[in-house]
Amino acid sequence: MALILVVEDEYSIAEVLEAVLADAGHEVVTAMNGRQGLERLRDRRPALILLDFMMPIMGGPAMLEAMKADPVHRDVPVVVMSSLPESAVAKAAKSQYAAFLRKPFKIKAVVELVNAVLDQHA
Amino acid sequence: MDDGPAGRPQLERIPTGVPGLDAILSGGLLRGGLFIIEGSPGAGKTILGNQICFRHVANGGRALYVTLLAENHARMLLHIGQLGFFEETVIPDRLYYISAFRVLEEDGLAGVLQLLRREIQAHDAGVLVLDGFAAIEDAAASIREFKKFIHQLQAHAAIANCTMLLLSGAKPVSAEHTLVDGVIELQTKLYGRRAERSLQVHKLRGSGYMRGEHSFRITGGGIAVYPRTEALLASPSTVDRVTGPPTATGLTQLDRIMGGGFPHRSTALLVGPPGIGKTTLGLHFLSQCDEENRGLHFGFYETPAAISDKARALGLPVERLIAQGHVEIIWQPTAEGLLDEVCHRLIETVRRRGIRRLFIDGLQGFERLATDQERLKHIFSAFSNEFRGRDVSTLYTSEADLIGPMAGLPLSGLSLQGVSCIAEIILVTRYVELRSELHRMISVLKVRDLEINSALHRFTITNHGIVIEPDSNSAEKNSGASDTSGWKSGLEGGSGRPS
Repeated sequence: MALILVVEDEYSIAEVLEAVLADAGHEVVTAMNGRQGLERLRDRRPALILLDFMMPIMGGPAMLEAMKADPVHRDVPVVVMSSLPESAVAKAAKSQYAAFLRKPFKIKAVVELVNAVLDQHA
Repeated sequence: MDDGPAGRPQLERIPTGVPGLDAILSGGLLRGGLFIIEGSPGAGKTILGNQICFRHVANGGRALYVTLLAENHARMLLHIGQLGFFEETVIPDRLYYISAFRVLEEDGLAGVLQLLRREIQAHDAGVLVLDGFAAIEDAAASIREFKKFIHQLQAHAAIANCTMLLLSGAKPVSAEHTLVDGVIELQTKLYGRRAERSLQVHKLRGSGYMRGEHSFRITGGGIAVYPRTEALLASPSTVDRVTGPPTATGLTQLDRIMGGGFPHRSTALLVGPPGIGKTTLGLHFLSQCDEENRGLHFGFYETPAAISDKARALGLPVERLIAQGHVEIIWQPTAEGLLDEVCHRLIETVRRRGIRRLFIDGLQGFERLATDQERLKHIFSAFSNEFRGRDVSTLYTSEADLIGPMAGLPLSGLSLQGVSCIAEIILVTRYVELRSELHRMISVLKVRDLEINSALHRFTITNHGIVIEPDSNSAEKNSGASDTSGWKSGLEGGSGRPS
């Protein structure tokens, strides 16, 4: 069981991810934008972050950059999610991320990817 | 806001870029205005909202698409990604998608308002779409709070110079309608088992707009709107010269009967039963085309290949004229067509090609497409004015079951089509039965402001096309009005064959 932070502005997707990852035995906290995501990081250090690309107030690339500049959180693996192809994400994201998840996704693929990234960073 | 000629500020508009819609909106949406786009699920609101965003971006602007309780972005992009206007590379730099529903849930209307203000500024958006607007009304504690939200949104749209589109379900006139700058409704209506989409502007502050329902389609390229033809042609093109030489029909004998041909820039109607040779007469008319007088065959029944075959069999030079670019053939099947789409295709071709001879085969094609037959007379009247203004001579065909000796009465049905009253010329073709044989007759029923010879003339269709007999004697014999001993020889002179 691992603590996973889901940063996603779309209510329906955040809800689904929370339920599915909980069913897979993980603990999930959510944030609805990058700024709120950084606030959650101050409370607890997650084992993995699922980070949406386009969000209000602070988007995925800005949050990724901010957390990578923070020595406490720079090693937390991040899975970036987007409806856009990875090339668009790679162009905007100045910092490294562990994996990319293209939306719309299948539940099984999410769980498998999350577990694989957790295993890699165990 | 720019200053106009009189020094007064002019309302600036942003074109929607949606084919046909800007003509309806007198140029587009007001910059910094607040608009409602409403309609039932599946009406096309999300496609329209996205299309306006992508067009705005293509024109160098930036846009923001905000969803509330609506389709998630991944599914939405998957769907609109199939449409021609979609351009993935503009996302996220010039077009940004966010959801505001969680903000609405946690921080209410004030939170959404704050978020929109901030995001418009952050993305320098000139267009904002708020999809799923009904969720705002649902979340509002009172009508007053809801109206206050719209009022604040409108104030911010004006200050930020950002045009805002609120996508909402169809509903009766309510508070938000009175507050916003414009309301556009999308509908789907059933006619028998056929469904037709329509768009109606209910309100547009700051200018006039084309009233009424306008048909639209969702195609692979996105939404295309077809403004009501009679409204589009309300101000027809104007003529530079009022009079001119007659237009040769392509049949010398017919020209002679009518005193030289069709009057200059006139509308002619050719009536007759199926198979009598109406299309053939139209091909004679088009055979007179050249570089300076381009022609268009706009038909509902026969394919371009069939028309070419027919012209070749009749020895008429239509194929050569097509190859030279002097004649164009457009075939318009009626199975799933929209009346205004077809009318636009016709008008656009006449304008683009500088058509001078227009053959429309035939009126019943328009009737099959029309969901409201009453409109046709207005459309044909608008056509007549527009084409005359463009120096076009028009020949329509219309089917009528004319078998028998009396002319006139069978035309009564044509008044409903509205052409008989705007046609300067009416030609009637008919079969006359004699000794188990049908013979073709033509007569000029009407030439406006001209004394004409309205006698029946027998005609035949040969491998050189139509041949009209110069005198009406044989026709008289065929009618059975004169002695029956002479007509036989009169008829046997022809080399008629069925067309």
